Amino acid sequence: MKVRILATALVTALIFTTALTGCYDNSNSNKNSNTANSGNAANSQSSNDANEPASTNASTNNTSNNASENTPANAAGDGAISEFHQSPYLNDKNLPDVKDRLPADYKITNEMAEGQLQYEIGNFGGTLRTVTSVPNWDADVFVMDNEPLLNTPSILGEKLTGNVLKDYLLSDDQKSISFQMRQGLKWSDGEPVTTEDIRFTVEDVLMNQELTPIFPLYLRSGGVAEGAPLQLEIIDDYNFKLNFDRPYGGLLIRLAIQGWRGYTELLKPAHYLKQFHTKYVKLDQLESAIKDAGFKKGEWVNLFNFKDITNWKLNHSEAVGFPVLYPWVITKATQSMTTYERNPYYFKVDTAGNQLPYIDKIESTLVNDIEMVSLKTIAGEVDFSRESAALVKMPLYKENEKNGYKAMLNNMHVTPTDIFLNLTYEKDPNWQKVVQDVRFRQALNMAINRQELIDTIYYGFAQPGSIEDPTFDLDGANQLLDDMGMKKNDKGQRLGPDGKVFTIPFEIGAQAPDIVPYTQLIVEMWKALGLNVTMKTIDQTLWGQRNTANDLQATVIWTHTPLWYMGDWGQGLWAPLWDQWHASSGKNGKEPPEDVKKLYATIDAALATDPEDAKRMIEDVKQQMKNNVFYFVPLSEVKQPIIVNEKLGNIPGDSSFAIATDFSGEQFFFKK
Amino acid sequence: MINFISYRLLQLIPLLIAISIIVFVIIQLPPGDFLTNYIQQLKLSGNDVSESAILNLKQEYGLDKSLIVQYVYWIKDMVLHGNMGRSFQYNMPVADVIWPRLGLTVTISLISLIFVWLISIPIGIYSATHQYSVLDYVFTFIGFIGVAVPGFLMALVLVYFIFMETGVSITGLFSQAYVDAPWSMAKIMDMLPRLVLPVIVIGMASAASLIRVTRGMLLDELSKQYVITARAKGVSEGKLLFKYPVRMAINPLISTIGWTLPALISGEVIVSIVLNLQTTGPMLLKALMTQDMYLCGSFILVTSVITVLGTLLSDILLAAIDPRIRFGGVGE
Repeated sequence: MKVRILATALVTALIFTTALTGCYDNSNSNKNSNTANSGNAANSQSSNDANEPASTNASTNNTSNNASENTPANAAGDGAISEFHQSPYLNDKNLPDVKDRLPADYKITNEMAEGQLQYEIGNFGGTLRTVTSVPNWDADVFVMDNEPLLNTPSILGEKLTGNVLKDYLLSDDQKSISFQMRQGLKWSDGEPVTTEDIRFTVEDVLMNQELTPIFPLYLRSGGVAEGAPLQLEIIDDYNFKLNFDRPYGGLLIRLAIQGWRGYTELLKPAHYLKQFHTKYVKLDQLESAIKDAGFKKGEWVNLFNFKDITNWKLNHSEAVGFPVLYPWVITKATQSMTTYERNPYYFKVDTAGNQLPYIDKIESTLVNDIEMVSLKTIAGEVDFSRESAALVKMPLYKENEKNGYKAMLNNMHVTPTDIFLNLTYEKDPNWQKVVQDVRFRQALNMAINRQELIDTIYYGFAQPGSIEDPTFDLDGANQLLDDMGMKKNDKGQRLGPDGKVFTIPFEIGAQAPDIVPYTQLIVEMWKALGLNVTMKTIDQTLWGQRNTANDLQATVIWTHTPLWYMGDWGQGLWAPLWDQWHASSGKNGKEPPEDVKKLYATIDAALATDPEDAKRMIEDVKQQMKNNVFYFVPLSEVKQPIIVNEKLGNIPGDSSFAIATDFSGEQFFFKK
Repeated sequence: MINFISYRLLQLIPLLIAISIIVFVIIQLPPGDFLTNYIQQLKLSGNDVSESAILNLKQEYGLDKSLIVQYVYWIKDMVLHGNMGRSFQYNMPVADVIWPRLGLTVTISLISLIFVWLISIPIGIYSATHQYSVLDYVFTFIGFIGVAVPGFLMALVLVYFIFMETGVSITGLFSQAYVDAPWSMAKIMDMLPRLVLPVIVIGMASAASLIRVTRGMLLDELSKQYVITARAKGVSEGKLLFKYPVRMAINPLISTIGWTLPALISGEVIVSIVLNLQTTGPMLLKALMTQDMYLCGSFILVTSVITVLGTLLSDILLAAIDPRIRFGGVGE
């Protein structure tokens, strides 16, 4: 019997040992695959040899290395390029010559503003690895891939250049804009891009009430609700004109960058989409396609919208096969990884005649949790990451930089966090009386200790905001509240006009890691004035819903204030009802007081006019903000980490917006 | 027996209808729906989603219809066409989302189950026969740690140590090259060593408790009259042990099959999230968080069906094995 039991013990011990050795093997093979991924495929002896994926990996890397040596970098004089080069990745793919795939009006690229990047001529090849934790959405790839109709280098809004469209001409009265398209520009399937695509989009989609039940506000004249919809005038195959009944030069910047619009809003592949449109195909011929897509009989609108991949759906699995103009085309989407491959018809080249993008492929891995993104990042398994990188993790990133990446600190294109008090909260008239008093808002502004916020939450990587007066003056703040008649009770708490303790209830969603600690500090700072300030963290969806329902009294979230053209000034957080009134031209919501009307009018005028005038008017908006403290913008110029593979070239320095780097992804290349 | 089984199967129908309604309603209870979630996410990324697009999306996802209509469509499609609806997040049929993950989940769960049995039964037997020996104390100690430490914590600690010591990040079941590769011998060989960590982590807790159960059951049996009688009659210790008491001691394995089956397919949610396994657990959690209602509804329904069937199986097995167990209500 003893023998038997001894044997059982032995077996158990054996299982443990195998388990442990298994673990050891595991780490070994992992290490090998890591090196393979970082480009030294030739050296890596994968433990599981003679398998397909590993060998393809190795061969791509090899060819890319060879290719980069062969790539000549000879630009002809005067900017005209005499010779074009394609990535070796496209060799033997049975494609027309690179010169015939490029438009005659190719674009010579540099998407960063002068002074922010010393552009280098790159070399072809490689795979860029990104990670996301949201199915069907990788913000980094989205920003990198997205192509607007016009462009503004470094997303600064200082200059407007052509992008998908070659050029524009704004009439003197700003009531019409002529656009010139790129001759010979082609969709990723090789079909030409012409004004027919524009006509289809405007006439058959935008003007079709079924497909577009609500006409987009920004395409109405002046970008306001009372403006008439734009009118399209086709001149020839490559020229068209947009006409408005009131001046609307501001459309240019909106097409270039605002809201990540991309080209798809005005330019859709007509040759592809016509097969799903009842104007071109009879409804009963569509029924089988409608059924295949999982919709009910007759729902052709759903089918069309499903097949029409707008720019924010470019990460979606159903986007495979849809003709696009992006640098990388989605080719495969599974539940664990999305693969993008270079668009052979992409229209940008560098000055040496190399067709962009330099990098052949993007692989976006889907993980279960955002923390897994961090682990992959510090293990060096990610070549580019901005969206998921957080300032609080900077020490962790720095500590592991030996794993082959650089953690950089660039500027953030949004303010870190702004504070909103809802001036039109209706359920408590007492609240409105207090917060609509400008002295109250000024007092709260004076009670914000900006330096403490900067040091505690942003490790010093931020500046006091420039819109309001940044002076910290507790006595002055108390004085103002006393002047308002907000008396203190025997416990030192300030009372509202109704004689009860005045309460500011913050409700926040944890949309960014800094929002919760930031609000905690604000709560303490305002409590010092004798106000009863509370804070509750709620689910983000609930937060959005309460905001729409005008139920949020006080909250904290970022805005796009650093980007002058984003028009965050009117957003519906500090006065949802007034904002509704404004957005609907007085049909909904509540009519605001004169000073707010004046603010809205200035914003509208600024967003409707051309960039030169607009920037001047935005200064006026800022001045009004300063005088009235409609909401609080305590900080600006916070830093945003980006993680880049240390071999990546054409990455601008820390003076640029982090997201602008992301936006210029087609310029990245792997250095040898 | 056939009467009993068919009666139990008939009982299933109202039960499943009730479950499906409850599931569908509960998923709808949190504020908003999938679309509000999705739009919020787009807006936070700086996208300007027009009102028109939102209306179209509502229609496309069928969210403009009332809850009852949505439920009826879902059930009708499932019963008539075997179609479980479309997952909003992945924008593909629910079945296409669930099936690929199911294989992996069952593999991991099965291996863990076998691992647990292989480890805990011998240890349990040893502990019982060598009560209060040094090894018994050692196993008891390890066992209590296994029961007390939550699986996800152990996973986190292990992942951290492996990364700090070796620089290898255990992120998922496949190395990059194989994530999307079709199944092949090479892919399996790539996966096997990576399975070790999840199997140990998932197995640890249940192994620990199973050791205690086996030990306790066996100790009970060992002191019983028939064992003493057999020993007095000179039956060899080995035969004595394995002929009856051990068989009795592993009874819990059989009677819990009803719960083991659904556990096999639903996987260890938190451990899978920490270890980034592409199993059904994290999928369900994310679906619940984003209110991807057809995906979570269908999956919960499938798990419920399997639980009910598993319980039925347990009952039948027990009735077959142990004649002392009788079922009431239906005459043979």
